[in-house]
Amino acid sequence: MIPFVAVVSLRNQESRTFRLWIPLVLIWLLLLPLGILLSPFIFIACLVCRVNPLRGLAVLWQILNALTDTQLDVEHRTAGVSFHIL
Amino acid sequence: MNEHRRQILQMLSEGKLSADEAERLISAIEEPSTTKSSDIGPKSGGKDRPKYLRVQVDSEDGDRHEGPTKVNVRVPMQLLRAGVKLAYLIPAAALQKANLAMHEKGIPVDLSQIKPDNLEELVEQLSDLVVDVDQKDANTKVKVRVFCE
Repeated sequence: MIPFVAVVSLRNQESRTFRLWIPLVLIWLLLLPLGILLSPFIFIACLVCRVNPLRGLAVLWQILNALTDTQLDVEHRTAGVSFHIL
Repeated sequence: MNEHRRQILQMLSEGKLSADEAERLISAIEEPSTTKSSDIGPKSGGKDRPKYLRVQVDSEDGDRHEGPTKVNVRVPMQLLRAGVKLAYLIPAAALQKANLAMHEKGIPVDLSQIKPDNLEELVEQLSDLVVDVDQKDANTKVKVRVFCE
């Protein structure tokens, strides 16, 4: 399952936390027509680089799928950042 | 299995078998069952496959008195698998250059040898990986921990 939401939490010195929910599904939807438009060029680039385009697409899809549950937290006394892909 | 055992004991009582022969036969019957149970044991009771690679960094800079900094990264193992699969997409010439550059840096890794089977084995072995680094200077204390969960 590709990730649908990314949550970015920012904490400042006054311990105020701002949580930003990024709907990745909208980004994917926006990127989809762009990808379709660019697909002939990507296909040619793959052929030039001698890379199987289908294989490349499969790996890209796997990476997208695997991004789910990735988490990064950085905590400091003065500030904190948290990034979580759901 | 008990039926065979009973038959052997009956033959022993009838004098058709010696005690030694009966013992050997019984142990021969019991062997496969013990092997099976021991085979099942570690798999069912063993560790699950790791799902995440975790990197935790705790650092404290004594000079600046800014307090500790904690970094916590959790990467799904699936992402590692997919990432390594990218190596298949690298053209042979580029792969050769990468191998050469790594050899020059003293890392004897041949990227062309990374196959799906090897990759699975590598990821399996990562479950036992724990790297702890403690660095203590006069001013800084850094603790890095890499493990799988």
